Amino acid sequence: MSAFLFGQDCTLSVTGKVIDKGTGRPLSFSNIYVQESKQGTISKEDGSFSLENMCPGHYHITISHLGCSPGLLHLDLYSDTIVTIELNHHDELLDEITIKGEGSGKRSAAISTVSRSEISRESQSGLSTILETISGVSSLKSGTDIAKPIVHGLYGNRVEIMNHGIPQAGQQWGNDHAPEIDPFVAQKISVVKGAASLEYGGSSLGSIVLIEPGNITGDKHLEGIVNYVFQSNGLGNTLNTRFERSSKLFSYRLTSSFKVKGDSKAADYYLTNTAKNEISTALQMQKKAGISESEIYYSFYFNNLGILRGSHIGNLTDLEEALVRDEPFYTEDKISFDIAAPRQKVAHHLFKANSDLRLSEKIRLKGTYAFQLNDRREYDVRRNGRSDRPTLHMLQLDHFAEVSLRSSLDKWSLRSGIQLNYVNNKNVAGTGTMPLIPQYNQIKPAAFFIASTTADKWFFESGVRYAFNHLEVATITTSFPLEVLRFKHNFHDYALSSSVSYMWSRGNNFGIQAGYMSRSPEVNELYSSGLHQGVSGIEEGNRNLDSERSLKLQMEYEFNWKDKLFGQFVSYYQNINDYIYLEPQDSFRLTIRGAFPLFIYKQDDVMIYGSDFLLSYEPIDKLKLSLKYAIVRGELVEENVVLINLPSDNLTFSMKYSVKLKDRTKASFGLDFDYVWQNRIEPEQDFIPPPDAYYLIGAMAGVNLPLGKSYATIELIADNLLNRRYRDYLNRQKYFADEVGRDVRLRLAYLF
Amino acid sequence: MNRLKYFMIPLVSCMLLLTVGCEDDPPIENPEELITTVNFTLTNSSGGDIILSFSDPDGDGGMNPVIAGGSLSPNTSYSASIELLNESVTPAEDITAEVLLEAEEHQVFYLTDSLNVSFSYTDSDIDLNPIGISTMVMTGDSSSGNITVILRHEPDKFATGVSDGDISNAGGETDIEVSFPVTIQ
Repeated sequence: MSAFLFGQDCTLSVTGKVIDKGTGRPLSFSNIYVQESKQGTISKEDGSFSLENMCPGHYHITISHLGCSPGLLHLDLYSDTIVTIELNHHDELLDEITIKGEGSGKRSAAISTVSRSEISRESQSGLSTILETISGVSSLKSGTDIAKPIVHGLYGNRVEIMNHGIPQAGQQWGNDHAPEIDPFVAQKISVVKGAASLEYGGSSLGSIVLIEPGNITGDKHLEGIVNYVFQSNGLGNTLNTRFERSSKLFSYRLTSSFKVKGDSKAADYYLTNTAKNEISTALQMQKKAGISESEIYYSFYFNNLGILRGSHIGNLTDLEEALVRDEPFYTEDKISFDIAAPRQKVAHHLFKANSDLRLSEKIRLKGTYAFQLNDRREYDVRRNGRSDRPTLHMLQLDHFAEVSLRSSLDKWSLRSGIQLNYVNNKNVAGTGTMPLIPQYNQIKPAAFFIASTTADKWFFESGVRYAFNHLEVATITTSFPLEVLRFKHNFHDYALSSSVSYMWSRGNNFGIQAGYMSRSPEVNELYSSGLHQGVSGIEEGNRNLDSERSLKLQMEYEFNWKDKLFGQFVSYYQNINDYIYLEPQDSFRLTIRGAFPLFIYKQDDVMIYGSDFLLSYEPIDKLKLSLKYAIVRGELVEENVVLINLPSDNLTFSMKYSVKLKDRTKASFGLDFDYVWQNRIEPEQDFIPPPDAYYLIGAMAGVNLPLGKSYATIELIADNLLNRRYRDYLNRQKYFADEVGRDVRLRLAYLF
Repeated sequence: MNRLKYFMIPLVSCMLLLTVGCEDDPPIENPEELITTVNFTLTNSSGGDIILSFSDPDGDGGMNPVIAGGSLSPNTSYSASIELLNESVTPAEDITAEVLLEAEEHQVFYLTDSLNVSFSYTDSDIDLNPIGISTMVMTGDSSSGNITVILRHEPDKFATGVSDGDISNAGGETDIEVSFPVTIQ
């Protein structure tokens, strides 16, 4: 600001280069536009540009390139400045993990990222659906709106979800419990397909999902986005807003989402009682003071969603009747926004405070505390007005504290830390049912140490992690008289990992990782007891379970051929000793409601292996073609039986054509083709054989146009364009109903 | 020291909250909707009740249920009724009343295999659809087999055949499904 006091000395220059973040390739013909001075230029063949005769001051510079989402740069200009601008030209490519502070661009694991523009485009859907765009990630679903991610064949307790650096708490064990996170809060969402992710708390067996709100931009003006999506299927409305601003005192960002949707529609009929309401909001405040950077973050998430009425059944006979029906029982011939039982209602709070202290040039100390409260209520169809009383009502309190130290010594970078996690999970009185999961307390202290170093084009990383897990459980007997029985468990979990990678040039690298890790059984695996609603089975925990131990080897290869063809391959092999799973028993359990199949948790050795492939080709600047393919195999080693719930082989082909209409205005058209094979499990491993293979076609068209200093986006997106009737093996709803049919969405976004 | 201030606040607040742990007993629910006992009582005009019963007083798991069958006379008509109880509480709770209160949301179905027997409904809800708590049972010639009693919650009582006792289009969820071994002799 003070620069203006010295008069208008307008001789400064801004020079720089625009490159693709994923590959390092220069982006020629990028538009560089200075909003304040209305100056503009276009980058040359080598991505370079220069802006001359600029006055000192604060500037907003937008950089746009065909096929990329526009980038925004804030600049306080006092002297001649050189900048490198990275645009996400290849959202689908592996991201670089930058070791913060030491930003060397090296990475120790294959990380795939979904960018903010991609998240906004799909903001009507949940976290897991958004992650499905990543090769090697699928969703395990229970109906239309409940989904959780499967990465490299593992899900639930074995894939940790880190929400802004905090292990997501809540009832993550349930396959019919979606993570309580609004993806719109994230600047990016990453999947670490690793061998061992030692820094993160929780119970991962390798892969981790990171929800990263990111830092608030340093802009002194209010900036943000208003994003609105209308869905034809379910007549859904989604409104997202994000506002952020920096001042001398502190920076803040406020994100909110509202979603209201009626019953979804399959190709030929409505999926009655699949309406949904969702509200979420997050406030992030950051402050820099001297050597410290502090942040306070609070987020709230609430949803109320219906579960397909026809999928709520009693015993095995009911299931058999449902299986042979053309359309589910209770199907209505019109859409409704009512949400009746069976339904779920969940509220989740996350509060986080952290401080980052730069003790010296080379040492940073970080302290974090987080508190989470999860209130989950599930309602079933019950007699005598009891449908308004939850059959499952659990309240989970979760405290997490961490102190970590990062230091850099010569070529070495060291990270270490201690973590403490406390969980208290309660069944709230008043359900009038036997609890499925007992009340418990859990204390988990952990410590980790990671060292990494670079030598020429090599990058090495190695680390260890130890966690102690103390579990106290108060169960209630399943038969009368009802009594409280208490149990205690102690587990020790270890993880070790090493990785080596070699980078010829940006976009051309090869890496190998090896990791050993153990995961102690979760409370549901030890103690769940009773009828799992809708699954039509009685699940019994096994309190003699021990930790499962896994060895994973992973290999990544990435290439860039003449800046036209890019490829990425990830291959992995994972051996898990004492893998915990539900084994169907030979005998049925006879109850007054008829016979139910009985499942008991047990442990056996399994192996899982597979590969993710990605190819991206740009024959001309305007056209981008990409091909993704993922394959996973897994089996119980001794019995030679295929593992259930593994993703089917899937192939996605997409193309995008972008054209510049005039300065800063561009249009794009896209087409997607998905093919899913579904034929691997044996017929006797499920109530029905896997559904038929299917293909889906999607299309989009959109324009991006300047509106003063801001941008507006108008898009029309269609999923399942041909209104295909199909069922997916990974959706439990496959027993009862078809998947969602055609959905056409109108999206309006205003970015300021 | 000032630099440590920022750092200590999260840590101290964390310690405070950690001490709030608790060791209280979990709530023991009264499983109100539990049905432990089904009594199917058949009365013949010549007197003497036959009671077929299924009883699982300790609920799912625990002890196996106790099933009592019976024998009926050939070519005889019986007036029959179903009684549902929750005997896990004292005094036992009468669930039949709860079902009758929501009569239009419930229906009892009667199925047989090789037994020569037929059923007809003798009760109805406000829509004039059968409930199936009271029935007329007609036996045929001597035979043996099973009577299966199924109580459905929220069936489609207007679907084809349902009011005649055909379960195949009924839907809904099964609250009771019990089989009684019966001989007609």
